Amino acid sequence: MSNLITPSTRHLITRRKALALTGAAIAAPIILRSGRAGAGVELVMANWGGDAIPNFKAAFADPFEKETGIKVTIDGSGPTDGKIKAMVESGNVTWNVCDADSFTSQDLGSKGLLEEIDYSIVDANKVRPGQALKYGCASYIYTYVIAYNSKKLPEAPKTWADFWNVEKFPGKRSFWKYMSGALEAALIADGVPADQLYPIDTKRALKKLEELKDHIILWESGADSQRFLREGEVSMASIWNTRATLLERDTKGEIKYTFNQGVAGPSSWAVPKGVKNLKETMQFIAFMQKPELQFELLKSMSNGPANPAGSALATGDLATADPGNADNWKTEIPLDVKWYAENYNTVLNDYLDLFS
Amino acid sequence: MTSEVGTTGVENSGMHRLPLFGSRQERVYWMFLAPVLLAMLVFFLLPLLQVFWISFSDPSIGTDNYTRLVSNRAIQKVVLTTLRICLTTTVLSVVIGYVIAFAVTLAPPRTRSLLMFAILVPFWMSVLVRAFAWVTLLRNEGIINSFLMSFGIIDSPLAMSNNEFGVIIGMTHYMTPYAVLPLLASMDGINPALVSAARGLGAGATQSFRQVFLPLTKPGIFAATILVFIMTLGFFVTPIILGGGRTVMIAEYITVQMQQTLRWGLAAALATVLLGVVLLLIGLLSRSMDMRKMLGGN
Repeated sequence: MSNLITPSTRHLITRRKALALTGAAIAAPIILRSGRAGAGVELVMANWGGDAIPNFKAAFADPFEKETGIKVTIDGSGPTDGKIKAMVESGNVTWNVCDADSFTSQDLGSKGLLEEIDYSIVDANKVRPGQALKYGCASYIYTYVIAYNSKKLPEAPKTWADFWNVEKFPGKRSFWKYMSGALEAALIADGVPADQLYPIDTKRALKKLEELKDHIILWESGADSQRFLREGEVSMASIWNTRATLLERDTKGEIKYTFNQGVAGPSSWAVPKGVKNLKETMQFIAFMQKPELQFELLKSMSNGPANPAGSALATGDLATADPGNADNWKTEIPLDVKWYAENYNTVLNDYLDLFS
Repeated sequence: MTSEVGTTGVENSGMHRLPLFGSRQERVYWMFLAPVLLAMLVFFLLPLLQVFWISFSDPSIGTDNYTRLVSNRAIQKVVLTTLRICLTTTVLSVVIGYVIAFAVTLAPPRTRSLLMFAILVPFWMSVLVRAFAWVTLLRNEGIINSFLMSFGIIDSPLAMSNNEFGVIIGMTHYMTPYAVLPLLASMDGINPALVSAARGLGAGATQSFRQVFLPLTKPGIFAATILVFIMTLGFFVTPIILGGGRTVMIAEYITVQMQQTLRWGLAAALATVLLGVVLLLIGLLSRSMDMRKMLGGN
């Protein structure tokens, strides 16, 4: 290819030409941006992809379109805090609803990056106490459960104290790389009563984690957590109950899990600041509070209904697998959204530092 | 457009300057080049300048982020881990690459094309596929451990993945072809008669290698070392998959600060420093050799 252009012409980039090009480059985005046209109302929901795309579509988007004629598209590229911030600051917000952790939404909201939830449209009474928050309303419940390989551990571990007991329960452990659920586990293993966990004594929790450090690897994605357990890389792990249910089914019961002492966090619907069609967005969030729709998501994905009435619809195996089920809920530890909203960013760096 | 001549790296590399052609050809040349240059400016240079600006403006205007890079112990640990892994990987890749390139140089033509094929196939394979292939080999119940245990060579599995060891293996495997190519280019340029002459003058095989061949490949070694080191600095996928969350390198640390903790200023400062180091190394490299020749051009 390089022979097509004679060597002599390689020297011709001059400063003046470069300046002219820079000018054109700066102008281009402004010219391109002005061409957007408004069409009929269409909403976009951002979630974490994979099975969540068809399942959220079937549970929420399709019924909503049927009832209101408003189409909801699902973007599975993952609404991380960084992407939401980038989108809001670019001034071109295309996500109406984001599937985001409750505590990160409170943090993002306090930085002016999210719209407040309009509780005149969304019903604050259709979620559990403390889960209808200013910048996010609970969407579903998911729990960091203790999952274990029953072939390697004939006796079932039941508590976080067992999780720390490497003599009785040999093998490696795994926590989520982004910390949720790990500090609570450490404190409970260290003897702190479940109702006195918050505000978390970070120093004590990290010290307890350090004790177990050599036995711990961290999982990054849900798929990693499944791989570690299935491949026998670890004998026990703190993983999302949604993945634990899948593992139990796929391994025909070789991988088991318990909700006991599991750390249950609500995920939430968060609305990026400055998005168009705010009213329809709130209507969509309110629509998704219907118990029968949330029950659909429990059936397809094991996401616990945020609306207790949705959990009440489940019976048998579905009830057992529901983190929001009344019997399970009694044994779980509700994650303190407020503590996480205020401390997550700082403590996460300490947590990563401990393990790296 | 007359005869203004810009100064570029190409000029320094000893290329012959040919007389300039007429302005019509020049226009055609620019017509072909302009869209690419424009795209580079809009989609690459401007965002890069923005990153630079963020590092001085987020959360507040000033050099706080850079002060933190120097004073924060956790960041220093990440930087040290990165340097340790990158240096180890570079040394291993260049040594292994040297042996391979040497073998290719000596091989008869048909074996040579076979060897080149074996080098280039992994070169074109996705980094993700290669990392997971190593997981299959290295994990506790993986192929290597199962094999060693079934023959009673070891009692308990060797910890070869989910740690720094696994990361270095994966990265070295990825980087070795990048070391082979510049080394091969430099070895191909050596007149074999020189080695023969050394032998003819009474030097042994080792001596003629050490005193004649090896010094002649020094530029190749230098190029391979810098090239491999630059590329390892930005590794992201391999440490995440093979490091089990226990090996955090700079690229991953930047991602966490961007996506999770929203410390964009800090992330941008770290990225700026990393880019500075890379540019410095590239500058060093282009001063001492013809980059295009090294990468197989001309």
